[in-house]
Amino acid sequence: MSTIQDMGRYQYLSQAVPISGAMDRLSARIANKALSNGDNAAVIEFTYADAEFIAETDLLISYAGDGVILTSGEHQLPAGRPLFILSGAIIKLTNTPSGSRTYLAVAGGWDVPEILGSKSTYLAAGFGGLDGRALKRADILKSEQRLTESTKKILKSLRGDKVNYPGWSIAVQSFLPVDRKTIRVVRGNEFDWFDARSISVFLSTSYIVGRQSNRMGYHLEGAMIARTKKNELLSSAVMPGTIQVTGSGSMVLLMADCQTTGGYPRIVQVAAVDMPLCAQLKPGDSIFFKEISQREAEMLYIEREQELQQLTIAVQSKFL
Amino acid sequence: MPEGIFKIYYLSEVAVTVEFGQRIAPNLLNAVNSLNVLLYGQPFPGFNTTVPAYSTLTVFYDPVLVIKSGLPGADCFEKVSGYLNNLNLQKKTAKPATEDIVTIPVCYGGDFGPDLAEVAGLHQISIKEVIKLHSAVVYKVYMIGFVPGFAYLGGMDERLSTPRKVTPRKSVPAGAVGVAGLQTGVYPLETPGGWQIIGQTPVKLFDLNRKEPSLLKPGDTVIFKAIDIKEFNKLATG
Repeated sequence: MSTIQDMGRYQYLSQAVPISGAMDRLSARIANKALSNGDNAAVIEFTYADAEFIAETDLLISYAGDGVILTSGEHQLPAGRPLFILSGAIIKLTNTPSGSRTYLAVAGGWDVPEILGSKSTYLAAGFGGLDGRALKRADILKSEQRLTESTKKILKSLRGDKVNYPGWSIAVQSFLPVDRKTIRVVRGNEFDWFDARSISVFLSTSYIVGRQSNRMGYHLEGAMIARTKKNELLSSAVMPGTIQVTGSGSMVLLMADCQTTGGYPRIVQVAAVDMPLCAQLKPGDSIFFKEISQREAEMLYIEREQELQQLTIAVQSKFL
Repeated sequence: MPEGIFKIYYLSEVAVTVEFGQRIAPNLLNAVNSLNVLLYGQPFPGFNTTVPAYSTLTVFYDPVLVIKSGLPGADCFEKVSGYLNNLNLQKKTAKPATEDIVTIPVCYGGDFGPDLAEVAGLHQISIKEVIKLHSAVVYKVYMIGFVPGFAYLGGMDERLSTPRKVTPRKSVPAGAVGVAGLQTGVYPLETPGGWQIIGQTPVKLFDLNRKEPSLLKPGDTVIFKAIDIKEFNKLATG
């Protein structure tokens, strides 16, 4: 499945409109940064796509993520770099077993209307992105052509009569921990509603991403979590990264298109810096959870943002 | 929790939740709404958006901007919590949130309310009586959640309390009016659903063409008005 996404829709959360946006925000931003686009420029999110594109004009594109390799004719196109593609080129996507989501950016951002302050597709209500739906055969997409000064320089330096790209690339991996199977979590507000043994099992055994997993959330298969406090919980805000424990003791990890409120107790919140790892998980993948403090999660968040800020400047400096 | 006391807890790196209590009550709804109005009137640097719920207000922010702000505190959580604590002290001086009275016309029964007869049967009252009980009271909007524009309403007559359907429907149309337990509500979008459907409204609960797409907001009063099919069709096409 392929949909248009950006960094999400925040201004209507109070009306129960979900955040949506790219599942793997890090990869989506890197695809944009490689072109000196703004981070919020619309990108295409591929989930295990075997799609094919024809360039109807010369194009400056880039892609990042995990799960797909782009090729054009005999060229394997490298990820994390601006790629100059000639009109008429056929771009093929081939699945790789490592991840599940890849992002394709175009210089100036993909041109779809902004709905409620975002270009992200929200399939359940059928709005955002391209006509509120996933991309299908024969769709035509174009760039919004809002090129930054830096993007114009990249285009000028790469433009020519053949496929062209610079010698450097931005590796998504360099921002992520080496151990991609351990997800760091912070205690949720109802953490102490669960029995101590269940918690210790939760933090020491593996869980498997269930088959029933999509942009709204993942079912986590593994040891059930027992509750000691049986209170009814009044619905309140939840968000991507929240792990809820359902009535049967199984767990659901909420993802980009999740509801804005929920009534199941929240055992933990996944650290925002590890959400890109979660976004790349496939049904059947197994993961572990490791507890970190609230303060540590916040520091990791700010450090990641600082690194990404530096990256923007670094790309600009390549094309001075 | 005693009246007026509240706690603030961490939801994530980008959000904290202010909790005024753990029950459904008009005074808690007022507390949530007042703080929400105050916050939008006096946002802190990095403030993003809020999610009001029954007894909580969740406040979203950009940590990069909060940490750079001059707010006192060692981390974003402390900075934002401190700010919200101070703001809450001004609550008495806050202008009340606007609360509208919204009438929702409902065509009960027939194809629009496939479960109306079952609900009447369960309570051993007539269909007319169900319609009367459902449309005679005024409801309060406590929160918007579940799907865009879905309002959790309080105030249903306890005599209509009905268990959910054993097997949820794969698809319930937009505008369907349902009851489940002590709750009643209107489905804004076509979705799967387990509530007992007793009628349908031609009014759009969520409409992207409106400035505020959700028809209802927390604090609003809702009145259901029984209409016939002729009226329904007129409103649906008008």
